[in-house]
Order: sequence, then C-alpha cells, then structure tokens
Amino acid sequence: MDFAESLKMATKTLSANKLRSGLTMLGIIIGNASVIAMIGIGEGAQKYVSGQLQSLGPNVLFIVPGNREARQLGDLDVPRTLVLADAKALATQVPSVTAVAAEKTTQGIVSYRNRNTSSSIVGTTEGFLTVRSFEVAQGRFLNDLDERSNSLVAAIGSTLAERLFDNESPIGKQIRIKGITFEIVGVLEKKGSSLGLNYDDSAMIPITTLSSRLVGRTSPYGIEVGFISISAVSQEAMETAEFQITNLLRLRHRITEGDDFYIQSQDTLLDIANTVTGALTLMLAAIASISLFVGGIGIMNIMLVSVRERTQEIGLRKAIGASQRDILSQFLIEAVILSAIGGLVGTGLGASGILLIAAISPFEAGVSASAVIVAVSVSGSIGLFFGVVPARQAARLDPIVALRSA
Amino acid sequence: MSALIQFRNIAKVYGAGNTEVRALWNVDMTIDRGEYCSIMGPSGSGKSTAMNMIGCLDQPTEGEYFFDGQDVAQLAEDELAHIRNRKIGFVFQQFHLLAHLTALENVEQPMMYAGIPSAQRKKRSAEALERVGLGNRLNNRPNQLSGGQQQRVAIARAIVNTPLLILADEPTGALDTQTTQDVIDIFSDLNKSGITVVMVTHEPEVARLTNRVIWFRDGEVLNPNLDPSDIASVTAVAT
Repeated sequence: MDFAESLKMATKTLSANKLRSGLTMLGIIIGNASVIAMIGIGEGAQKYVSGQLQSLGPNVLFIVPGNREARQLGDLDVPRTLVLADAKALATQVPSVTAVAAEKTTQGIVSYRNRNTSSSIVGTTEGFLTVRSFEVAQGRFLNDLDERSNSLVAAIGSTLAERLFDNESPIGKQIRIKGITFEIVGVLEKKGSSLGLNYDDSAMIPITTLSSRLVGRTSPYGIEVGFISISAVSQEAMETAEFQITNLLRLRHRITEGDDFYIQSQDTLLDIANTVTGALTLMLAAIASISLFVGGIGIMNIMLVSVRERTQEIGLRKAIGASQRDILSQFLIEAVILSAIGGLVGTGLGASGILLIAAISPFEAGVSASAVIVAVSVSGSIGLFFGVVPARQAARLDPIVALRSA
Repeated sequence: MSALIQFRNIAKVYGAGNTEVRALWNVDMTIDRGEYCSIMGPSGSGKSTAMNMIGCLDQPTEGEYFFDGQDVAQLAEDELAHIRNRKIGFVFQQFHLLAHLTALENVEQPMMYAGIPSAQRKKRSAEALERVGLGNRLNNRPNQLSGGQQQRVAIARAIVNTPLLILADEPTGALDTQTTQDVIDIFSDLNKSGITVVMVTHEPEVARLTNRVIWFRDGEVLNPNLDPSDIASVTAVAT
C-alpha cells in the first residue's frame, strides 16, 4: 500500500474517533506550547537584558569595590576601599579615559510642599552626564563647583519632577531630601530603566554633599563611592583603559597581590547576563520538554489501548492480506499524525502565548523560526518513537488469536 | 480436476512434553478446484485448526501443504499474507466489517493491500456489492445494515480480489433461517462460477447443501468423503 493511501486511511481512522484523538493530542499540544512559550520567554528575557545593557552608554567601564571572587561569593560586606579621590585620580592621570563619574546611592524621602515620595538619592559628580549619556532637559547638571563647596543643589529625573511638580517648572524650587533643603538646578531627560536602576525617579546631588550631610563619612580612606564608571576614548581603547586603571588603583591602594576592586566592562556584564539568561532558557526548555515527553508517553498509552481495542480489526486486515509492514506503518502513521498535528496546534498556542506575554510585559515577543521547526520536528519524532512499541505489538499479532478475541 | 488444497501428513502440535496437545495428527486431505464442500466435526476435533491452515493463517508443525501447487508450509509470514490477499477470500461468523467505513470502503480494503488504484477499487467494489445484491447499499455503514446484509458485504469483500478459494468459518452462525438460505445461495452461485468454496460449519442443514463433507474427529480426518445425506448417522456416532 503506498504512503498516500496509508495517510488517507489513518486520517479516516483518527477522525472516526475524534474525542480520543483530541485527548491524545492534548498532551503533545500542551508540551509543545510550553516548549515554544518557554524558549520564547527565555529569548525575550535575553534580548531585554542585552538591550538594557546596551542602553548604559558606549565604551563604559565600571569599577566596583571588592575583588571578583568576593563579589561572586555574594559577599555583601564589601570593603569600602574605593573613594572619591580614586575617581579624581582616574580622571586626571589615565590618558585613555575621557570622563569619570563616581556614584553612591541611598534611599530617602523627597518632599516638595505637601508631596512626599520615596526615591533614590544619588550622590555623583559632573562626569555622570557624559559617562551615562544623559541629557539635561531644563537648567543645568551638577558641576565641579557644587562638588567642591558641598552645595545643597539637586538635579532630578523626569519622573520625579512630574511626581513632585506636575506641570510646574521645578527649576529654582526648594525640595527637602531627608529633611535637608536642596535647590533644584536641573531636570534630566527621560531615559528609562537600565539594569533595574531607574535614574528617572532619582534625585542627583553632589557626592560630597551626600557624604557630609546625608550618610556621613563611612570609609577611613576618604569619601566612599559605591562604584566608579568611566568612559574610554574609544571602543579600541577599552583594554588599555582597563589596564591603566588597574595599575593606577593598585599603586594608590598599595596592592602587591589580590586586588580590592574589580573592573566590569559592558561586555563582561553582557556575558554574565547571557550566561544567566541562557541557563534560564535552557532550564525552562528542559522543564517544558518533560511535558512534551509525558505527552509522548500519552500517545504511546493511547496507541497501546487502541491496539487492544482494534485487535479484531488487525486480525481481519491480516486475514485479507495486510503484511506486518502494512500494519506497522498504519499505526506509526497514526501516531505521527497525532503528534505532528498536536505539535502544530501547540506551536500556535505557544506563539500566541508569547505574543500575549509580550503585550503585557516589557519583554519583546520572540517566536523564532528555529524554535518552531525544532518543536514540530521533535514532536513528530516523539510520535514516531513512542508509536513504535504499539505498532510493533499490532504488527506481530497472530491473526487467528486476533480474530477470535471478542 | 486438479487439486487446489493438498494436505500431506499434516500435524499441528502445541506445547511439548507432558503438556503436548495434538490439534491435528497425520492428516491427508485433498480438495479439488471448483469443489463445494464443508468441514464438520465436534468441537475440539481440529476443524478450526485445519481451516486456519487451509487459509494460510497458520502453518503446520509437520507435513506439507500444497495450495495452488505451492508448498506453503515453509513460507514467511509476508508471503502468506500475499497468498491470503490474492488467492483466498475469508468470510467469518462475526462478519468482521470495519465499523467506521461504508460498505463500499469495507469491500475496498483487500484491494488496498493489493495496491490497486482508487478509481478501479471503487468500480470493482461496487460490482462486487452488486453481485451480492447490495447495489443500493454502497454508502451504508455496517450499523445501518441487517445481519444478512452485513454478511453479504463480507462476501463481496471476499470475492473482490477474484480469489481461487472462498473460506467461510461458520458463515451462517449469526444469521436466522431465511438469511442463512440467502447467504448459502450466494455461495452456490459463486461455486457455479468456478470458485472453490470451503465452509466450516456445525449446522447439518447447511452442510447438507454442499457436495461433500469432510468429517474431523480428535485431530484426524475420520471420513474425507462423507455424503451430505449421511451426516445424521455420523453425528449420532460422534455423540
């Protein structure tokens, strides 16, 4: 019997028992939908994270206190060895660096008249604007003079400005940060969040003011910074900059072995993020694959039942001249059709699930063609794989016994 | 007339040692082309085993079986399937029609395994159904047909590949007297057109309509050439 005939026969048999065929497919549908959705979510997360990282600004390096091992161990009590003076030294003594920003963040209540809001208060330096590629919307940003004189001035993010002032212009207004009065000198352009930090909702004040008035002196070496970010002169100069910064900081910190700081480039961050999201995707896909596998077992189960139920039919077909191969291929084709259709429907469901998730979350929609091809062919082969056992059982039935069974 | 079916010293033994069961023992039997005969015997006499063997559904443990001049005792399963498909038409007590297919499609089945194209299959199925008097029931499913009609669909299915032999296993066991007569008439007609018909039955009134009765007992052929009118005497001896 040729393939087209077998295919026609199988669809006829399957559609003769729609409920059972549907239920059999359900396992594969759910399995496939979850594989597609999970891979889509994983890929969406990956795109999202790398998008965030790229929005940090070009050619940026981050210098954070504590060595790499300590940070990887999740040691929260990092040494407070990185100070403002280090940032100043980097700005003046490292030729491959164009701008330097030191940052230290605290949380606090910001209020204007009767409005209060809790937000991040970021102590920083003039270089912040350049390094993190922010634009000033109104007024000006903090400058060196503010920093040297511990001025009580603040530049605020656009979201914070809206929250406190509605449509009023915030420039020149007095706000209170942790009970201390600051004058607003500027408002920044909206930028959105990156890496979970949203400067749009922050108040930026001179780092010297933050240290002396809000958090106090916390490091024995000078004004403590949370991290320093620098921008290098060019993409090519990144490695040079990393080398020069390392040397300078080792000199300044009198280090002979075991750095007390760690330099992260955007690339290393991207690598870390990709590793994490990649592992996440893999894990999600693995979990989803289990349901696909269970769906396959479901097909085997139902096909075994179906062989039992159709013993007489098999006996008859053998009596009227079906060879073992004919019976084998009949049952295999039925299993493959079930799982392939289930795979297609599941893919459709999974894809629409992803689109839905994309619509209600910041993740980008990601139904990759490769995921679809993989899922459908995998579910097809699952049908083939799990169809073999029942099909062989059917093919090997003794026609006499099969015909006599009632 | 030449022999269509020839058993030479056929034995069929199940199990071994103490549990050995001899279903058939030392059976010699010949059925010629064009014969119309029935196989009878009490239950456990080996008549079903003999029928399975005639129909190439089973193979003997010992001996030779020539069907249409070919020794089928040693053939592989797929070769047996081929013989069943082309040379033998089966009719069963329980009809064994496929419930989800129409009469026409049921009759098409043997031709599908013979690799006959769709259009020709449909034409031949319709002709076969016409021949058994069901020309107006082509698109009915088995549950829309009476028992007699279902058995006639089964007969159409048996003759559609123009077999040499019709092998009927208790074909009238599930039918009432009137439809039994109709079905037997069809068999007689088929036999007159040249097809060999072998019927296994336990109904003397059905066997009486055939030309010869082969009487089995205890796995042996007790009487290979019993006159149908003498059935009563044999049945009396047997019981």
